[in-house]
Amino acid sequence: MSKTEKIMTIDEKLSLTKLTTDKNYEHITVNQEICRKCKTFDCVYACPANCYKFSEGEEVDSPIIFDYAPCLECGSCRIVCPHGSVDWHYPKGGFGVEYKNS
Amino acid sequence: MSTDYDFDVAIIGAGPAGTSAALTLAKGGKEVVLVERGQYPGAKNVSGGALYGPVINELIPNYWEEEGFERFLTTKKISLLSDNKAVTIDINNQNFKEPPYNGVTVTRPKFDRWLAKKAEEAGAMILLDTVVEDFVWEGDQILGIKSGDDIIKSKLTIIAEGSSALLTEKAGLAKFPKPEHYAVALKETYELPSDVIESRYGLEKNEGFSNEMIGYAEGIPGGGFFYTNRDTLSFGLILNLKKLTKKKLKSTDVFEQFKTHPYIQKLIQDAKMIEYSSHTIPEGGFKHISKLYGNGVLVAGEAAGMLLNAGLYIEGMNFALEAGKIAGEAAIEILKMGDFSSNGTKIYENKLKKSFVYKDLKTFKRAAKFLDTDRIFTKYPDLITGLMEKLLINTGKPRKRIVKTAVGYVLKTMNILSLIKDAIGGWRSI
Repeated sequence: MSKTEKIMTIDEKLSLTKLTTDKNYEHITVNQEICRKCKTFDCVYACPANCYKFSEGEEVDSPIIFDYAPCLECGSCRIVCPHGSVDWHYPKGGFGVEYKNS
Repeated sequence: MSTDYDFDVAIIGAGPAGTSAALTLAKGGKEVVLVERGQYPGAKNVSGGALYGPVINELIPNYWEEEGFERFLTTKKISLLSDNKAVTIDINNQNFKEPPYNGVTVTRPKFDRWLAKKAEEAGAMILLDTVVEDFVWEGDQILGIKSGDDIIKSKLTIIAEGSSALLTEKAGLAKFPKPEHYAVALKETYELPSDVIESRYGLEKNEGFSNEMIGYAEGIPGGGFFYTNRDTLSFGLILNLKKLTKKKLKSTDVFEQFKTHPYIQKLIQDAKMIEYSSHTIPEGGFKHISKLYGNGVLVAGEAAGMLLNAGLYIEGMNFALEAGKIAGEAAIEILKMGDFSSNGTKIYENKLKKSFVYKDLKTFKRAAKFLDTDRIFTKYPDLITGLMEKLLINTGKPRKRIVKTAVGYVLKTMNILSLIKDAIGGWRSI
Protein backbone atom coordinates (compact mmCIF):
# COMPACT_ATOMS: atom_id res chain seq x y z
CA MET A 1 0.00 0.00 0.00
CA SER A 2 2.75 2.40 -0.93
CA LYS A 3 0.29 4.84 -2.47
CA THR A 4 -1.71 5.20 0.71
CA GLU A 5 -1.38 8.60 2.26
CA LYS A 6 -0.80 9.00 5.95
CA ILE A 7 -3.92 8.18 7.98
CA MET A 8 -5.77 11.38 8.75
CA THR A 9 -6.69 12.09 12.35
CA ILE A 10 -10.33 12.64 13.25
CA ASP A 11 -9.58 16.34 13.76
CA GLU A 12 -8.11 16.57 10.27
CA LYS A 13 -11.12 14.77 8.82
CA LEU A 14 -13.51 17.02 10.75
CA SER A 15 -11.75 20.09 9.35
CA LEU A 16 -13.09 19.04 5.91
CA THR A 17 -16.69 19.25 7.09
CA LYS A 18 -18.45 22.57 7.51
CA LEU A 19 -19.38 23.07 11.15
CA THR A 20 -20.78 26.29 12.60
CA THR A 21 -20.58 26.28 16.38
CA ASP A 22 -23.30 28.05 18.33
CA LYS A 23 -21.36 29.66 21.17
CA ASN A 24 -24.56 30.57 22.99
CA TYR A 25 -26.25 27.19 22.98
CA GLU A 26 -24.91 23.72 23.70
CA HIS A 27 -27.27 21.41 21.83
CA ILE A 28 -26.01 18.42 23.84
CA THR A 29 -25.40 18.53 27.55
CA VAL A 30 -24.11 15.70 29.68
CA ASN A 31 -24.76 15.24 33.38
CA GLN A 32 -21.26 14.98 34.84
CA GLU A 33 -22.75 13.84 38.16
CA ILE A 34 -23.77 10.67 36.31
CA CYS A 35 -20.63 10.48 34.14
CA ARG A 36 -18.39 10.54 37.21
CA LYS A 37 -19.76 7.15 38.23
CA CYS A 38 -19.69 5.70 34.70
CA LYS A 39 -17.91 2.44 34.06
CA THR A 40 -19.09 1.72 30.51
CA PHE A 41 -18.06 4.80 28.47
CA ASP A 42 -20.27 3.82 25.53
CA CYS A 43 -20.32 7.42 24.29
CA VAL A 44 -16.54 7.42 23.82
CA TYR A 45 -16.71 4.24 21.72
CA ALA A 46 -19.69 5.28 19.62
CA CYS A 47 -19.04 8.94 18.81
CA PRO A 48 -17.61 9.36 15.29
CA ALA A 49 -16.41 12.90 16.03
CA ASN A 50 -14.50 12.43 19.31
CA CYS A 51 -16.89 14.71 21.17
CA TYR A 52 -16.41 12.35 24.10
CA LYS A 53 -12.86 11.66 25.26
CA PHE A 54 -11.29 9.91 28.22
CA SER A 55 -9.98 12.54 30.58
CA GLU A 56 -6.80 10.59 31.45
CA GLY A 57 -4.03 13.01 32.28
CA GLU A 58 -6.37 15.99 32.42
CA GLU A 59 -7.15 17.72 35.69
CA VAL A 60 -10.88 17.06 35.87
CA ASP A 61 -12.86 14.94 38.31
CA SER A 62 -14.78 13.01 35.63
CA PRO A 63 -13.53 10.16 33.45
CA ILE A 64 -15.05 11.83 30.39
CA ILE A 65 -14.47 15.21 28.76
CA PHE A 66 -17.24 16.39 26.47
CA ASP A 67 -17.19 19.00 23.72
CA TYR A 68 -20.27 19.62 21.56
CA ALA A 69 -18.43 21.68 18.93
CA PRO A 70 -17.27 18.88 16.56
CA CYS A 71 -20.65 17.08 16.72
CA LEU A 72 -21.89 15.63 13.42
CA GLU A 73 -25.43 15.32 14.86
CA CYS A 74 -25.59 11.56 14.33
CA GLY A 75 -27.34 10.97 17.65
CA SER A 76 -25.33 7.88 18.67
CA CYS A 77 -24.46 9.17 22.16
CA ARG A 78 -28.12 9.62 23.06
CA ILE A 79 -28.84 6.04 22.00
CA VAL A 80 -25.86 4.30 23.63
CA CYS A 81 -25.68 5.99 27.03
CA PRO A 82 -27.25 3.43 29.39
CA HIS A 83 -27.31 5.91 32.27
CA GLY A 84 -29.46 8.64 30.75
CA SER A 85 -26.72 11.23 31.03
CA VAL A 86 -27.01 12.67 27.53
CA ASP A 87 -29.55 15.42 26.91
CA TRP A 88 -29.66 15.74 23.14
CA HIS A 89 -31.36 18.46 21.11
CA TYR A 90 -31.13 19.65 17.55
CA PRO A 91 -28.83 22.67 17.21
CA LYS A 92 -30.56 26.00 16.57
CA GLY A 93 -31.28 26.95 12.97
CA GLY A 94 -28.18 28.01 11.04
CA PHE A 95 -25.82 26.16 13.35
CA GLY A 96 -24.17 22.77 13.47
CA VAL A 97 -23.13 20.59 10.59
CA GLU A 98 -23.70 21.57 6.97
CA TYR A 99 -22.94 18.72 4.58
CA LYS A 100 -22.08 19.56 0.99
CA ASN A 101 -21.29 16.16 -0.49
CA SER A 102 -22.71 13.42 1.73
CA MET B 1 -62.70 23.14 15.99
CA SER B 2 -61.45 26.66 15.44
CA THR B 3 -60.75 27.64 11.86
CA ASP B 4 -57.69 29.85 12.18
CA TYR B 5 -55.23 27.39 10.68
CA ASP B 6 -52.13 28.66 8.91
CA PHE B 7 -51.83 25.51 6.80
CA ASP B 8 -53.70 22.30 6.07
CA VAL B 9 -50.57 20.29 6.80
CA ALA B 10 -47.22 21.06 8.46
CA ILE B 11 -44.39 18.66 7.64
CA ILE B 12 -41.26 18.32 9.75
CA GLY B 13 -38.13 17.51 7.78
CA ALA B 14 -37.27 18.08 4.10
CA GLY B 15 -35.69 14.68 3.47
CA PRO B 16 -37.17 12.14 1.04
CA ALA B 17 -40.16 11.30 3.28
CA GLY B 18 -41.17 14.85 4.15
CA THR B 19 -40.59 16.30 0.71
CA SER B 20 -42.41 13.47 -1.01
CA ALA B 21 -45.38 14.11 1.29
CA ALA B 22 -45.18 17.86 0.62
CA LEU B 23 -45.04 17.34 -3.12
CA THR B 24 -48.04 15.00 -3.06
CA LEU B 25 -50.08 17.42 -0.95
CA ALA B 26 -49.11 20.47 -3.00
CA LYS B 27 -50.03 18.64 -6.22
CA GLY B 28 -53.37 17.85 -4.56
CA GLY B 29 -53.96 21.56 -4.05
CA LYS B 30 -53.43 21.60 -0.28
CA GLU B 31 -51.83 24.36 1.76
CA VAL B 32 -48.64 22.79 3.01
CA VAL B 33 -45.51 24.00 4.81
CA LEU B 34 -42.29 21.96 4.83
CA VAL B 35 -40.06 22.84 7.77
CA GLU B 36 -36.36 21.99 7.64
CA ARG B 37 -33.81 22.51 10.41
CA GLY B 38 -30.84 22.52 7.99
CA GLN B 39 -29.41 25.45 6.08
CA TYR B 40 -30.87 23.76 3.00
CA PRO B 41 -32.59 20.40 2.40
CA GLY B 42 -29.94 17.69 2.68
CA ALA B 43 -27.52 19.77 4.79
CA LYS B 44 -27.99 17.42 7.74
CA ASN B 45 -28.39 14.24 5.74
CA VAL B 46 -26.07 11.35 4.96
CA SER B 47 -26.69 8.25 2.89
CA GLY B 48 -24.94 5.56 0.86
CA GLY B 49 -26.78 5.93 -1.32
CA ALA B 50 -28.90 4.59 -4.08
CA LEU B 51 -32.52 5.17 -5.04
CA TYR B 52 -34.85 3.12 -7.22
CA GLY B 53 -35.45 4.84 -10.54
CA PRO B 54 -39.12 3.75 -10.80
CA VAL B 55 -39.91 5.21 -7.35
CA ILE B 56 -38.46 8.62 -8.25
CA ASN B 57 -40.11 8.49 -11.64
CA GLU B 58 -43.52 8.06 -10.05
CA LEU B 59 -42.98 11.30 -8.12
CA ILE B 60 -41.18 13.26 -10.82
CA PRO B 61 -41.89 11.81 -14.28
CA ASN B 62 -38.80 11.80 -16.53
CA TYR B 63 -36.61 12.77 -13.57
CA TRP B 64 -33.51 11.59 -15.45
CA GLU B 65 -33.71 14.57 -17.78
CA GLU B 66 -32.71 16.72 -14.82
CA GLU B 67 -29.74 17.02 -12.47
CA GLY B 68 -30.98 15.48 -9.23
CA PHE B 69 -29.06 12.22 -9.33
CA GLU B 70 -25.44 11.15 -9.78
CA ARG B 71 -25.06 7.97 -11.87
CA PHE B 72 -27.34 5.17 -13.04
CA LEU B 73 -26.48 1.77 -11.62
CA THR B 74 -25.81 -1.26 -13.79
CA THR B 75 -23.65 -3.16 -11.36
CA LYS B 76 -23.87 -4.29 -7.79
CA LYS B 77 -20.83 -5.86 -6.22
CA ILE B 78 -20.84 -7.76 -2.98
CA SER B 79 -17.48 -8.39 -1.37
CA LEU B 80 -16.51 -10.64 1.48
CA LEU B 81 -13.36 -9.40 3.16
CA SER B 82 -10.92 -11.09 5.51
CA ASP B 83 -7.35 -10.14 6.47
CA ASN B 84 -5.79 -9.58 3.03
CA LYS B 85 -8.26 -11.58 0.97
CA ALA B 86 -11.48 -10.62 -0.82
CA VAL B 87 -14.11 -12.52 -2.76
CA THR B 88 -16.41 -10.35 -4.87
CA ILE B 89 -19.64 -11.21 -6.62
CA ASP B 90 -20.21 -8.84 -9.52
CA ILE B 91 -23.81 -8.63 -10.71
CA ASN B 92 -24.00 -6.67 -13.94
CA ASN B 93 -27.19 -6.11 -15.87
CA GLN B 94 -27.11 -4.05 -19.05
CA ASN B 95 -30.94 -3.91 -19.03
CA PHE B 96 -30.57 -1.39 -16.21
CA LYS B 97 -29.02 1.14 -18.58
CA GLU B 98 -32.33 2.52 -19.83
CA PRO B 99 -34.52 5.13 -18.13
CA PRO B 100 -36.23 5.18 -15.69
CA TYR B 101 -33.20 3.15 -14.52
CA ASN B 102 -33.36 0.38 -11.96
CA GLY B 103 -31.26 2.40 -9.54
CA VAL B 104 -29.35 5.67 -9.37
CA THR B 105 -26.76 6.97 -6.93
CA VAL B 106 -27.47 10.22 -5.10
CA THR B 107 -25.77 12.62 -2.74
CA ARG B 108 -28.17 14.18 -0.31
CA PRO B 109 -27.37 17.90 -0.41
CA LYS B 110 -27.97 17.69 -4.18
CA PHE B 111 -30.89 15.24 -4.35
CA ASP B 112 -32.83 16.57 -1.35
CA ARG B 113 -32.49 20.15 -2.58
CA TRP B 114 -33.60 19.16 -6.08
CA LEU B 115 -36.65 17.30 -4.76
CA ALA B 116 -37.55 20.16 -2.40
CA LYS B 117 -37.44 22.56 -5.34
CA LYS B 118 -39.99 20.34 -7.08
CA ALA B 119 -42.27 20.52 -4.02
CA GLU B 120 -41.83 24.28 -3.93
CA GLU B 121 -42.70 24.59 -7.63
CA ALA B 122 -45.83 22.54 -6.95
CA GLY B 123 -46.87 25.10 -4.33
CA ALA B 124 -45.42 23.92 -1.00
CA MET B 125 -43.88 26.56 1.26
CA ILE B 126 -40.43 25.71 2.56
CA LEU B 127 -38.99 27.13 5.78
CA LEU B 128 -35.24 26.57 6.28
CA ASP B 129 -33.08 26.97 9.41
CA THR B 130 -36.20 26.21 11.42
CA VAL B 131 -36.02 23.73 14.27
CA VAL B 132 -39.31 22.34 15.47
CA GLU B 133 -39.11 21.91 19.25
CA ASP B 134 -42.64 20.91 20.13
CA PHE B 135 -46.19 20.73 18.86
CA VAL B 136 -49.20 22.89 19.41
CA TRP B 137 -51.30 20.77 21.75
CA GLU B 138 -55.00 20.98 22.53
CA GLY B 139 -55.50 18.22 25.06
CA ASP B 140 -54.04 15.18 23.35
CA GLN B 141 -54.63 16.56 19.86
CA ILE B 142 -51.69 17.94 17.86
CA LEU B 143 -52.67 21.15 16.09
CA GLY B 144 -49.42 22.33 14.59
CA ILE B 145 -45.79 22.99 15.43
CA LYS B 146 -43.66 25.29 17.57
CA SER B 147 -40.23 26.68 16.81
CA GLY B 148 -38.97 29.10 19.44
CA ASP B 149 -41.69 31.72 19.79
CA ASP B 150 -43.14 30.92 16.40
CA ILE B 151 -46.30 28.89 16.12
CA ILE B 152 -47.68 27.34 12.96
CA LYS B 153 -51.19 25.98 13.28
CA SER B 154 -52.16 23.11 11.00
CA LYS B 155 -54.96 20.58 10.80
CA LEU B 156 -52.46 17.79 10.39
CA THR B 157 -48.76 17.36 11.12
CA ILE B 158 -46.49 14.87 9.36
CA ILE B 159 -43.27 14.00 11.18
CA ALA B 160 -40.40 13.08 8.86
CA GLU B 161 -37.48 14.14 11.05
CA GLY B 162 -35.20 11.18 10.33
CA SER B 163 -33.30 8.77 12.50
CA SER B 164 -33.02 10.85 15.69
CA ALA B 165 -36.73 10.79 16.35
CA LEU B 166 -37.03 13.35 19.15
CA LEU B 167 -40.40 14.69 18.02
CA THR B 168 -41.82 11.25 17.21
CA GLU B 169 -41.07 10.38 20.84
CA LYS B 170 -42.56 13.67 22.01
CA ALA B 171 -45.75 12.88 20.06
CA GLY B 172 -45.93 9.60 21.98
CA LEU B 173 -45.49 7.48 18.84
CA ALA B 174 -42.01 6.07 19.51
CA LYS B 175 -40.14 4.84 22.55
CA PHE B 176 -36.66 5.92 23.56
CA PRO B 177 -34.23 4.14 21.20
CA LYS B 178 -32.19 1.07 22.17
CA PRO B 179 -28.60 0.62 20.90
CA GLU B 180 -29.26 -2.91 19.62
CA HIS B 181 -31.77 -1.47 17.15
CA TYR B 182 -29.46 1.21 15.77
CA ALA B 183 -26.25 1.40 13.80
CA VAL B 184 -23.88 4.28 13.26
CA ALA B 185 -22.58 4.96 9.77
CA LEU B 186 -19.24 6.70 9.27
CA LYS B 187 -18.72 8.05 5.81
CA GLU B 188 -16.06 9.75 3.74
CA THR B 189 -16.64 11.46 0.41
CA TYR B 190 -13.76 11.49 -2.05
CA GLU B 191 -13.21 13.64 -5.09
CA LEU B 192 -12.17 12.05 -8.38
CA PRO B 193 -12.72 13.46 -11.90
CA SER B 194 -15.61 11.77 -13.70
CA ASP B 195 -13.42 10.52 -16.59
CA VAL B 196 -11.04 8.93 -14.07
CA ILE B 197 -14.00 7.26 -12.31
CA GLU B 198 -15.17 5.88 -15.65
CA SER B 199 -11.78 4.59 -16.79
CA ARG B 200 -10.73 3.24 -13.40
CA TYR B 201 -13.87 1.23 -12.73
CA GLY B 202 -14.65 0.40 -16.38
CA LEU B 203 -17.84 2.45 -16.60
CA GLU B 204 -19.55 4.26 -19.44
CA LYS B 205 -20.46 7.93 -19.16
CA ASN B 206 -22.84 8.43 -16.22
CA GLU B 207 -22.85 4.70 -15.46
CA GLY B 208 -22.09 3.69 -11.87
CA PHE B 209 -21.78 0.78 -9.49
CA SER B 210 -22.33 0.01 -5.84
CA ASN B 211 -20.22 -2.25 -3.69
CA GLU B 212 -21.35 -3.65 -0.37
CA MET B 213 -18.71 -5.27 1.82
CA ILE B 214 -19.02 -7.75 4.66
CA GLY B 215 -16.26 -8.74 7.05
CA TYR B 216 -13.02 -7.15 8.31
CA ALA B 217 -14.86 -4.95 10.82
CA GLU B 218 -13.96 -6.69 14.08
CA GLY B 219 -16.98 -8.96 13.73
CA ILE B 220 -19.40 -6.13 14.38
CA PRO B 221 -22.68 -6.56 12.48
CA GLY B 222 -22.90 -4.04 9.68
CA GLY B 223 -20.72 -3.61 6.64
CA GLY B 224 -18.97 -1.32 4.24
CA PHE B 225 -20.44 0.53 1.29
CA PHE B 226 -18.97 2.18 -1.77
CA TYR B 227 -20.86 4.14 -4.44
CA THR B 228 -19.69 6.01 -7.50
CA ASN B 229 -21.16 9.48 -8.02
CA ARG B 230 -20.54 11.91 -10.95
CA ASP B 231 -17.17 13.13 -9.70
CA THR B 232 -17.12 11.86 -6.14
CA LEU B 233 -17.02 8.51 -4.36
CA SER B 234 -19.08 7.64 -1.29
CA PHE B 235 -17.37 5.24 1.05
CA GLY B 236 -18.37 4.25 4.54
CA LEU B 237 -18.90 1.66 7.24
CA ILE B 238 -22.02 0.78 9.20
CA LEU B 239 -21.62 -0.59 12.73
CA ASN B 240 -24.29 -1.87 15.11
CA LEU B 241 -24.14 0.34 18.19
CA LYS B 242 -24.77 -2.37 20.76
CA LYS B 243 -22.09 -4.71 19.45
CA LEU B 244 -19.61 -1.87 18.97
CA THR B 245 -19.89 -0.56 22.53
CA LYS B 246 -20.02 -4.06 24.01
CA LYS B 247 -16.69 -4.85 22.35
CA LYS B 248 -15.30 -1.57 23.75
CA LEU B 249 -14.07 -0.51 20.34
CA LYS B 250 -14.11 3.04 19.03
CA SER B 251 -16.15 3.48 15.86
CA THR B 252 -13.42 5.70 14.42
CA ASP B 253 -10.71 3.07 15.05
CA VAL B 254 -12.77 0.27 13.50
CA PHE B 255 -13.38 2.48 10.47
CA GLU B 256 -9.69 3.35 10.00
CA GLN B 257 -8.74 -0.30 10.39
CA PHE B 258 -11.41 -1.34 7.86
CA LYS B 259 -10.01 1.20 5.42
CA THR B 260 -6.58 -0.43 5.48
CA HIS B 261 -7.92 -3.50 3.64
CA PRO B 262 -6.12 -3.77 0.28
CA TYR B 263 -9.44 -4.15 -1.57
CA ILE B 264 -10.64 -0.81 -0.16
CA GLN B 265 -7.30 0.90 -0.62
CA LYS B 266 -7.51 0.09 -4.34
CA LEU B 267 -11.05 1.49 -4.56
CA ILE B 268 -10.14 4.86 -3.05
CA GLN B 269 -6.49 5.25 -4.04
CA ASP B 270 -5.37 8.66 -5.30
CA ALA B 271 -8.81 10.11 -4.54
CA LYS B 272 -8.92 13.15 -2.28
CA MET B 273 -11.13 13.11 0.80
CA ILE B 274 -13.38 16.16 0.79
CA GLU B 275 -15.92 15.46 3.52
CA TYR B 276 -16.41 13.37 6.63
CA SER B 277 -19.94 12.63 7.81
CA SER B 278 -21.96 10.42 10.09
CA HIS B 279 -25.50 9.36 10.80
CA THR B 280 -27.40 6.74 12.75
CA ILE B 281 -29.60 4.11 11.11
CA PRO B 282 -32.60 2.46 12.76
CA GLU B 283 -32.28 -1.24 11.94
CA GLY B 284 -34.71 -2.90 14.31
CA GLY B 285 -36.88 -3.83 11.33
CA PHE B 286 -40.57 -4.70 11.24
CA LYS B 287 -40.97 -5.33 14.96
CA HIS B 288 -39.67 -1.90 15.87
CA ILE B 289 -41.60 0.37 13.56
CA SER B 290 -43.10 3.18 15.62
CA LYS B 291 -46.80 3.83 15.91
CA LEU B 292 -47.62 5.45 12.58
CA TYR B 293 -50.43 7.81 13.47
CA GLY B 294 -51.95 9.70 16.37
CA ASN B 295 -54.35 12.55 17.00
CA GLY B 296 -53.54 15.06 14.28
CA VAL B 297 -50.25 13.41 13.36
CA LEU B 298 -48.63 10.93 10.96
CA VAL B 299 -45.01 9.75 10.87
CA ALA B 300 -43.01 8.56 7.86
CA GLY B 301 -39.48 7.43 6.97
CA GLU B 302 -36.64 6.70 9.36
CA ALA B 303 -38.37 8.60 12.16
CA ALA B 304 -40.82 5.69 12.19
CA GLY B 305 -38.01 3.14 11.83
CA MET B 306 -38.88 2.37 8.21
CA LEU B 307 -35.57 0.83 7.35
CA LEU B 308 -34.71 -2.62 6.16
CA ASN B 309 -31.36 -4.20 6.74
CA ALA B 310 -31.40 -7.47 4.82
CA GLY B 311 -27.65 -7.91 5.03
CA LEU B 312 -26.79 -7.39 1.39
CA TYR B 313 -28.60 -4.12 1.20
CA ILE B 314 -29.93 -1.44 3.46
CA GLU B 315 -33.12 0.15 2.37
CA GLY B 316 -34.27 3.45 3.81
CA MET B 317 -34.54 6.27 1.28
CA ASN B 318 -36.84 4.40 -1.11
CA PHE B 319 -39.11 3.51 1.79
CA ALA B 320 -39.04 7.17 2.82
CA LEU B 321 -40.02 8.41 -0.65
CA GLU B 322 -42.87 5.91 -0.87
CA ALA B 323 -44.09 6.30 2.71
CA GLY B 324 -44.00 10.10 2.33
CA LYS B 325 -46.10 9.86 -0.79
CA ILE B 326 -48.60 7.58 0.96
CA ALA B 327 -48.70 9.93 3.98
CA GLY B 328 -49.46 12.78 1.57
CA GLU B 329 -52.24 10.81 -0.12
CA ALA B 330 -53.65 9.74 3.25
CA ALA B 331 -53.54 13.35 4.47
CA ILE B 332 -55.60 14.45 1.44
CA GLU B 333 -58.24 11.85 2.33
CA ILE B 334 -58.19 12.75 6.02
CA LEU B 335 -58.66 16.44 5.15
CA LYS B 336 -61.63 15.47 3.01
CA MET B 337 -63.20 13.34 5.74
CA GLY B 338 -62.49 15.96 8.42
CA ASP B 339 -61.73 13.52 11.26
CA PHE B 340 -58.28 14.41 12.61
CA SER B 341 -58.42 12.14 15.64
CA SER B 342 -56.55 8.84 15.51
CA ASN B 343 -59.77 7.24 14.21
CA GLY B 344 -59.42 9.37 11.09
CA THR B 345 -55.63 9.33 10.74
CA LYS B 346 -55.60 5.52 10.84
CA ILE B 347 -56.29 5.63 7.08
CA TYR B 348 -52.54 6.18 6.67
CA GLU B 349 -51.63 2.86 8.28
CA ASN B 350 -54.21 1.02 6.19
CA LYS B 351 -52.77 2.52 3.03
CA LEU B 352 -49.17 1.88 4.04
CA LYS B 353 -49.95 -1.78 4.71
CA LYS B 354 -50.69 -2.21 1.02
CA SER B 355 -47.35 -0.73 -0.07
CA PHE B 356 -43.95 -2.32 -0.70
CA VAL B 357 -42.63 -0.45 2.34
CA TYR B 358 -44.72 -2.41 4.82
CA LYS B 359 -44.70 -5.65 2.83
CA ASP B 360 -40.90 -5.71 2.41
CA LEU B 361 -40.37 -4.96 6.08
CA LYS B 362 -42.74 -7.80 6.92
CA THR B 363 -41.16 -10.23 4.46
CA PHE B 364 -37.75 -9.65 6.02
CA LYS B 365 -39.00 -9.43 9.60
CA ARG B 366 -36.64 -12.16 10.78
CA ALA B 367 -33.59 -10.61 9.10
CA ALA B 368 -32.71 -8.30 12.00
CA LYS B 369 -32.42 -11.23 14.39
CA PHE B 370 -30.59 -13.44 11.91
CA LEU B 371 -28.06 -10.71 11.12
CA ASP B 372 -27.40 -10.34 14.80
CA THR B 373 -25.29 -13.50 14.58
CA ASP B 374 -21.62 -12.53 14.79
CA ARG B 375 -20.66 -15.51 12.62
CA ILE B 376 -22.08 -13.85 9.53
CA PHE B 377 -19.63 -10.99 9.86
CA THR B 378 -16.54 -12.98 10.82
CA LYS B 379 -16.70 -16.72 10.13
CA TYR B 380 -18.34 -16.65 6.71
CA PRO B 381 -16.11 -14.00 5.09
CA ASP B 382 -13.12 -15.95 6.51
CA LEU B 383 -14.57 -19.24 5.34
CA ILE B 384 -15.30 -18.19 1.77
CA THR B 385 -12.12 -16.19 1.17
CA GLY B 386 -10.13 -19.02 2.77
CA LEU B 387 -11.84 -21.63 0.63
CA MET B 388 -11.18 -19.67 -2.57
CA GLU B 389 -7.52 -19.40 -1.61
CA LYS B 390 -7.42 -23.13 -1.00
CA LEU B 391 -8.96 -23.81 -4.41
CA LEU B 392 -6.72 -21.42 -6.33
CA ILE B 393 -3.37 -21.58 -4.57
CA ASN B 394 -0.57 -23.18 -6.56
CA THR B 395 1.53 -25.32 -4.30
CA GLY B 396 3.24 -27.50 -6.89
CA LYS B 397 1.37 -30.53 -5.54
CA PRO B 398 -1.41 -32.41 -7.36
CA ARG B 399 -4.88 -30.93 -6.81
CA LYS B 400 -7.81 -32.68 -5.18
CA ARG B 401 -11.27 -32.54 -6.69
CA ILE B 402 -12.91 -29.19 -6.05
CA VAL B 403 -15.91 -30.55 -4.14
CA LYS B 404 -13.67 -32.67 -1.94
CA THR B 405 -11.46 -29.70 -1.12
CA ALA B 406 -14.48 -27.53 -0.42
CA VAL B 407 -16.32 -29.95 1.84
CA GLY B 408 -13.14 -30.81 3.70
CA TYR B 409 -12.30 -27.16 4.24
CA VAL B 410 -15.79 -26.18 5.38
CA LEU B 411 -16.02 -29.03 7.86
CA LYS B 412 -12.58 -28.25 9.25
CA THR B 413 -13.33 -24.55 9.62
CA MET B 414 -16.93 -24.46 10.79
CA ASN B 415 -18.96 -26.08 13.50
CA ILE B 416 -21.50 -28.17 11.60
CA LEU B 417 -24.33 -27.34 14.00
CA SER B 418 -23.86 -23.57 13.59
CA LEU B 419 -23.71 -24.08 9.86
CA ILE B 420 -27.07 -25.86 9.85
CA LYS B 421 -28.54 -23.31 12.23
CA ASP B 422 -27.41 -20.42 10.03
CA ALA B 423 -28.63 -22.15 6.89
CA ILE B 424 -32.09 -22.52 8.41
CA GLY B 425 -31.99 -18.99 9.87
CA GLY B 426 -30.88 -17.56 6.53
CA TRP B 427 -33.53 -19.47 4.60
CA ARG B 428 -36.30 -18.28 6.90
CA SER B 429 -35.21 -14.66 7.17
CA ILE B 430 -33.67 -13.55 3.89
